[in-house]
Amino acid sequence: MPVSSADSEKTLASTADYHAEAPLVQGNLSFHDITELVTAHTEKKTPLAWWGAFSLANIGLLLLVGMVAYLFWNGTGVWGLNNPVGWGYAIVNFVFWVGIGHAGTLISAILFLFRQQWRTGINRAAEAMTIFAVMCALVFPTIHVGRVWAIYWTLPIPNQMEMWPQFKSPLLWDVFAVSVYFTVSLVFWYVGLIPDIATMRDRATTKVRRMVTGVLSMGWTGANRHWRNYEKAYLLLAALATPLVLSVHSVVSFDFAVSIVPGWHTTIFPPYFVAGAIFSGFAMVVTLMVIARKVYGIQNIITIEHLEKMNIIILLTGTMVGFAYITEFFIAWYSGVQYEQYAFLNRAFGPYAWAYWTMMTCNLVFPQFFWIKRLRRSVPFMFAISIFVNIGMWFERFVITVTSLHRDYLPSSWDYYTPTFVDVLTFVGTFGLFFTLFLLFLRFIPMVAIAEVKGVMPQADPHFYDHAGDGHDQAHDVSVTTPQDHTQS
Amino acid sequence: MGIRKSNPFIWLLDPLRPTSASASYRFEWSQSAWLLPLAVGIAGLTVSAVGWATDASQFYFSYLVGWAFCLSLALGGLFFVLIQHLTKARWSVVIRRIPETLLWSFPLLAVLGIPVLFGMHDLYHWTHLELFDPASPSYDPVLAGKQGYLNSTFFIARLVFYFVVWTIIAYKLYTESIRQDVEGAADIPARQRFTSAWGLAVTAVTVSFAAFDILMSLDPHWFSTIFGVYFFAGSFMSIMAFTAFIAMILQRKGMLGGVVTTEHYQDLGKFLFGFVVFWAYIAFSQYMLIWYANLPEETLFFRHRLEHGWEYHSAALLIMHFILPFVILIGRWAKRMLPLLAFMSVWMLVMQWFDLHWIAMPVLHEHAQFSLYDLAAWFGLAGVFMAAFMFRLSRHALVPEKDPNLATSIAFTNT
Repeated sequence: MPVSSADSEKTLASTADYHAEAPLVQGNLSFHDITELVTAHTEKKTPLAWWGAFSLANIGLLLLVGMVAYLFWNGTGVWGLNNPVGWGYAIVNFVFWVGIGHAGTLISAILFLFRQQWRTGINRAAEAMTIFAVMCALVFPTIHVGRVWAIYWTLPIPNQMEMWPQFKSPLLWDVFAVSVYFTVSLVFWYVGLIPDIATMRDRATTKVRRMVTGVLSMGWTGANRHWRNYEKAYLLLAALATPLVLSVHSVVSFDFAVSIVPGWHTTIFPPYFVAGAIFSGFAMVVTLMVIARKVYGIQNIITIEHLEKMNIIILLTGTMVGFAYITEFFIAWYSGVQYEQYAFLNRAFGPYAWAYWTMMTCNLVFPQFFWIKRLRRSVPFMFAISIFVNIGMWFERFVITVTSLHRDYLPSSWDYYTPTFVDVLTFVGTFGLFFTLFLLFLRFIPMVAIAEVKGVMPQADPHFYDHAGDGHDQAHDVSVTTPQDHTQS
Repeated sequence: MGIRKSNPFIWLLDPLRPTSASASYRFEWSQSAWLLPLAVGIAGLTVSAVGWATDASQFYFSYLVGWAFCLSLALGGLFFVLIQHLTKARWSVVIRRIPETLLWSFPLLAVLGIPVLFGMHDLYHWTHLELFDPASPSYDPVLAGKQGYLNSTFFIARLVFYFVVWTIIAYKLYTESIRQDVEGAADIPARQRFTSAWGLAVTAVTVSFAAFDILMSLDPHWFSTIFGVYFFAGSFMSIMAFTAFIAMILQRKGMLGGVVTTEHYQDLGKFLFGFVVFWAYIAFSQYMLIWYANLPEETLFFRHRLEHGWEYHSAALLIMHFILPFVILIGRWAKRMLPLLAFMSVWMLVMQWFDLHWIAMPVLHEHAQFSLYDLAAWFGLAGVFMAAFMFRLSRHALVPEKDPNLATSIAFTNT
């Protein structure tokens, strides 16, 4: 029975309530449009602007390589570390980058389990960002050991000397936690890519392209059986990745919290670090997506609704982190332990007060602007806030690491930590590494999960064409008969 | 037509007069179904009264555990409803009225909390003023430093503040939802969401500090920044168990047929499982960090709970609150096998009480023990609490029947 347009309008009106969401994909795109929009960027001639950005990122990467080589030649003395502050930029940057690497798996695993369909627009890029951020993070513990040639000692490899890593050390737990997280994120990302690589294979015009995508798509044909296995695998990986999202940053927080350094040893650290990681990760996704959606013209796929939802998560996690700061401060006083009390007063009013208040402003105050709907839907505003959040989260790690260390239990050894140019340029260099990888991703891999986005479009509903034309972008002049109609008549 | 406020005597139990419900969502059990839990409650409280007369300290501790149990359920319900509105959750509409009905427990719980205030001297060591007097032999310099926070006046003021805040949020969420049943006003979901946004922030802060005040300060030297999260984890777990169990009871009595389905139970089961794991994560974080750092002022708490028989309680908590439920609930089948899910719901509610007992009781008893009054106070308070819940439930529709997402929720399936 064809449905008259008056009827369908009535249905629309009755469902057009408060809960009716804006469509996830806007601009009336068809399945084919989505494929074109996304894959075109991997197929077209490399734009000049991309080369420009890539060159800039490469300069950063070279800077990183140069600084690391300089470090290896001279030893860690070229860093600004001093006697009480034995952990400086290296650990701060490590935690910063691992934190950034939390959004991707949260989006792809936890939001998947929570049936948040809007995640499909951003999950591919966010997962890529996760993987690259974890790679940047891994640079720091590796170069921090000083004798970099012995880095493999962090792994429990059987050897003739019967030498084993210290299993009671949280630094070893980090090795396990971060490497497991990296591996699972990578597998998850690749599994999600398979149908899209097959799409690229089917569109390939050159032999090399066809061969590469053909191998990587593992014989994907889009058969029903493939999809069934794929979806089961995706669900299982999501279930496995969900505890990892929490465990990685919990283990990173143990690096600090198992010690008895005032300001580090507090039981809220694991969940508070996880909230902070999600906070910074989402800020980075917003930073990158605001630019990418504009440059690549995919505003209809990564819509303002997507960005708004991410901003709400930034508001939520930022407030959680801010509340954790306040709880820490309160319990430090409540504990009655003078060292704890001093550590926190010293944070807020000591020589590093500037860093503390930068952190407080960026992490607790700025996200509160997102209570206002107009501001969380304003692209320039959210871009600015996302940058501030990343600055604030870097400072959070700086405040935790340095303010607690620089005045230890022995006042005669107190000192002020200042980074050297090597510290700073190494950190800048990791952005070079990050953007090099991210630009390669944008150039060669579909930046949006094509198959998943199609899956959440109205056309994916098996009954869509019952009342919306015959599937050929035509107005519905063909009558579609459903089994129910037979039973009724 | 519209909702009308109930008279001041009933207000404590239900701020609104009964509203009519369409046949499918009507409470069809006997209208006096609430008398049964009330009878249990009165019996329990009567036995407790004997306890008060014979062993006041024991009574107050038992009473506190029972009261905290009911409070954690109500707060868990508050969190759940806030999050459902904020996320515009659709699956949960059919079961939302159960935690919503629990929301109006705060005024009753405030009244039931009065004995705790009378028992403060027994419960809270920091109420002993000689601790703060440098001339006294029992002067405690550490506690003296906390006097600005741990003193009876400020403590009571804080409790009053928490209950006022929770009652205000609960009143808004509860009455708006009932008003929606009657009037179906289109602006209600947006208003609920607005309340939930600020409500969640305020609730998170107040619950965290309430946990510090009511439970953590029983051991006034001890401190743990994660304690509020620990209490939240148990509360949220309990409300999932409670909601699933009540829905199953109602269905056994012939209500909500075809409305709440296995699909909804599976989702409740997922949340139950998730929060069993989350509780374990928080409990582990707290224990491991304190164990590892090995500072005497912190290990004290676990020291008490790992000797003189309390070690069996600690082990039972690990096995029965985490390992067994984890193994049992992990499968999809377990969440869809309703008798098993019902059993696990009751189990987890018992474990929530056991957890609170484990937190509070070692402060009173050096040697592990259960008292008859523990059970009496728990059954007594939970009975009265449940009676009020049933009373409210019987006066309104069993689901928010004009919620725009009700049809979606009924048709919901896990793919």
